[in-house]
Amino acid sequence: MPLVNWFKRKFVVIAGLLTLAFLLLPNVVVTVFSFNKPKGRFNYAWQQFSTDAWKDPCGVSGLCGSLSLSLQIAFWATLGATALGTMIAFALVRYRFRARGAVSSLIFLPMAMPEVVMAASLLTLFLNMGAQLGFWTILIAHIMFCLSFVVTAVKARVMSMDPRLEQAAQDLYAGPLQTFLRVTLPIAAPGIAAGALLAFALSFDDFIITNFNAGSTVTFPMFVWGSAQRGTPVQINVIGTAMFLVAVLIVLTSMVINNRRNKQKA
Amino acid sequence: MKTTTDAGGDVRLSGISKTYGSFTAVHPLDLTVPQGSFFALLGASGCGKTTTLRMIAGLEEPTSGTVHLGDQDVTALPPYKRPVNTVFQSYALFPHLDIFENVAFGLRRRGIKGVKQQVGDMLDLVQLGEQARKKPHQLSGGQQQRVAVARALINHPKVLLLDEPLGALDLKLRRQMQLELKRIQTEVGITFVHVTHDQEEAMTMADTVAVMNGGRVEQLGSPADLYENPRSTFVANFLGTSNLIEAEVDSRSGEDIVLKAGDGKLVLPEARCAAPTTTGGKVLVGIRPEKISLTHADDAGGIPEGRNRITGTIAATSFIGVSTQYVVDSAVCPEFEVYVQNVDRDSRLAPGAEVVLHWSPAHTFGFDAAQSLLAGTTGSAGLDEEAAL
Amino acid sequence: MATLTEAPPPLAPTAPQAEPPRRRGRWTPYWLLLPGMLWLLVFFALPMIYQASTSVQTGSLEEGYKVTWHFATYWDALADYWPQFLRSVLYAAAATVLCLVLGYPLAYLIAFRAGRWRNLIMVLVIAPFFTSFLIRTLAWKTILSDGGPVVGALNTLHVLDVTSWLGWTAGDRVLATPLAVVCGLTYNFLPFMILPLYTSLERIDGRLHEAAGDLYARPVTTFRKVTFPLSMPGVVSGTLLTFIPASGDYVNAELLGSTDTRMIGNVIQTQFLRVLDYPTAAALSFILMAAILFMVTFYIRRSGTEDLV
Repeated sequence: MPLVNWFKRKFVVIAGLLTLAFLLLPNVVVTVFSFNKPKGRFNYAWQQFSTDAWKDPCGVSGLCGSLSLSLQIAFWATLGATALGTMIAFALVRYRFRARGAVSSLIFLPMAMPEVVMAASLLTLFLNMGAQLGFWTILIAHIMFCLSFVVTAVKARVMSMDPRLEQAAQDLYAGPLQTFLRVTLPIAAPGIAAGALLAFALSFDDFIITNFNAGSTVTFPMFVWGSAQRGTPVQINVIGTAMFLVAVLIVLTSMVINNRRNKQKA
Repeated sequence: MKTTTDAGGDVRLSGISKTYGSFTAVHPLDLTVPQGSFFALLGASGCGKTTTLRMIAGLEEPTSGTVHLGDQDVTALPPYKRPVNTVFQSYALFPHLDIFENVAFGLRRRGIKGVKQQVGDMLDLVQLGEQARKKPHQLSGGQQQRVAVARALINHPKVLLLDEPLGALDLKLRRQMQLELKRIQTEVGITFVHVTHDQEEAMTMADTVAVMNGGRVEQLGSPADLYENPRSTFVANFLGTSNLIEAEVDSRSGEDIVLKAGDGKLVLPEARCAAPTTTGGKVLVGIRPEKISLTHADDAGGIPEGRNRITGTIAATSFIGVSTQYVVDSAVCPEFEVYVQNVDRDSRLAPGAEVVLHWSPAHTFGFDAAQSLLAGTTGSAGLDEEAAL
Repeated sequence: MATLTEAPPPLAPTAPQAEPPRRRGRWTPYWLLLPGMLWLLVFFALPMIYQASTSVQTGSLEEGYKVTWHFATYWDALADYWPQFLRSVLYAAAATVLCLVLGYPLAYLIAFRAGRWRNLIMVLVIAPFFTSFLIRTLAWKTILSDGGPVVGALNTLHVLDVTSWLGWTAGDRVLATPLAVVCGLTYNFLPFMILPLYTSLERIDGRLHEAAGDLYARPVTTFRKVTFPLSMPGVVSGTLLTFIPASGDYVNAELLGSTDTRMIGNVIQTQFLRVLDYPTAAALSFILMAAILFMVTFYIRRSGTEDLV
């Protein structure tokens, strides 16, 4: 029974790797089909190898425009949500104030709410106010739902920070502003960065809330959605693959740099 | 701000207190720490010693009272304007700055230029010149501790505050750093105020020790004074071990009080008794285990006159190397502890043996019987170990 | 502990009578909270109120809507769309269970068995996030396409016969069936299960496994009695993070399903953006919100972990 025993010992590893394969399979398909040359309007069945789409990623009208719009919105949403969220996180961890419970629930609720509900109610508000749907309404919505995630990320970091560090700075002649700039902020930076990264990813990839509140403006996810109805250009896969590669590359580089730094220290 | 070690390094606390809601951390307290002394605040966790220290540092606002440094009233000054620096518990070294920048932090904040020389000298003083460009987490506990001291001392504070500075170190390193800190203090001559829960640490390092309990100073004095003549059961038990006997005042003879404990008589010098001594009043009599001599009952005749004596039975013995510890059951005090130096061991002194315990009346101390016999014993010390983690 | 009893946070409320001028930080927390809280109040809480009022309005697009406290909209909406509600709960629950079953081994692998591969696997779990989830969901259309290798294999193994008999698939098709939708939901929300599971597993001291083994527990017993109970916080937050978005999702049902697999999200979206029947859409979205909040509260109470965030 050595095979059975081997399987027993390796069960977790095998099951885990199968799940990992399940997670990565679509990315493999996206990559492979970015080299496809489909016959019809849809890129769902393999026809023949081609690099046409890679040579002309912006060849579909509206695609690169929507991509750049999504990047802009994600940038501003990240900036806004990170600033507001960091302030809230500091208030929550470092101060006592009235209505703490209410503040906490108001931050928790957007994360515990299905996106359609927030999307629909926000649209109701915009319609009632007679707001022009477009860039600004999308940005407002994105900052709103990214905020809670930033608060959670920054809060975790600030909470694990030893308050004695700030006291030590004060003890060493740093006034409140100096203490914040020279000690608090640099130490909280990884948490703020994590929150910002999360906000960027959430905003860039958001579809449901954007779809409700965009009016006739088209972000990248909305472009993909529309093309699923009208016909999927191969360029979508090119952009998806490129995003995946860039992300993995950035993470791997930062890991290598970290490793090297750790080795130098040791 | 240009702080040197000239006059004015006294720390004077007048009527200082701290309450949090309904909890009083420090009861109104008057305390003067003379310039250049090594002063220890000793007590179990929650006794208010750290709060007192933080009020001197300016990290905690006193509910009432004032803090003076020399002639200057600093009560309303924020910590960054006080000529006082702190070595924090677990050091609080800035993790994002290297050792050099950690030490230079205070100088830079005060706008001092050309700090390189000063920082270098300071790092040499604490023998860390080679480590200047490392980050705190790359250093060992003992090295981090020295960085924390250097970071505070480089500012030439009038007073250096140390909050459990050795709590995170292992026993051997702790011994070494005790001597090291004492050396630095003697060298720079700055007033040190040291908070600790470790009685041994306080006694080895400090000139003066204030024992705190429940937000009050129980007793203040030199280590030897506190040890030899404790004025309460808390001090008697918290500093070392004490045997406590309940007794009744019987009569006086000159400078001494004669007490009745069980069937026997004990003599206590009046100067060493912290309680009113009216005849018939109850008094607690204490004696340190190492002051007691142990004689087998068969040899009781050879004990000189004028010594306090108690008879009992040996319940347990344990051999420690330099000494042997005996636990003796007697009528007046169960589990009497006796430490005998291992000079000539009497083989008859085994569990079950009838013995006479005797000691010089001059080593006896006494205080009010209306307090818990167990105050300051292992119960609270155990809590303390936990807090030190 | 010493810090708890001796040194409360530096800005603990101090006795009001002792208030030196330098304690000017009393209003600081409110200034810090103000912009963010205003944002959430205006763009999250206020819309909820607007929606509540919309749900009891009657009228038409041309003539405008008025609040008439027309609660019948709720009953009508429930009567018309209860199958979609039921479907949403069932699909989301199925996807959540699948996520737990699939995600636990991977989280366990990363936490205890991955060794030096740990970081790489973490990257591979997170990296797909950076490709738009719509693109990745469309890829499932290719993977599950009729006559494709996956469907072919399932057919050969006669799995599709069983699932079709159960009503999960239709004939020899997987696409446009409940199975495809649940598969898409599972895939999309799996990382939300893995990450909290990993976080709570990683906190478990590896020596506990050895201790359990030392005390005569077999590996399975160790898992059942030690590892799993200790990972409960991760299980609870993972299931919530999966179930909540899955129950409101309409992307998977739209892209991978058919008209027979429409979920409540699809209905809300259609009512709002195409039919423009705002009161019904608002009522539906309110019912969904109430149902979710009710279930989540009940679930958190039952599992006894109330400090999730």
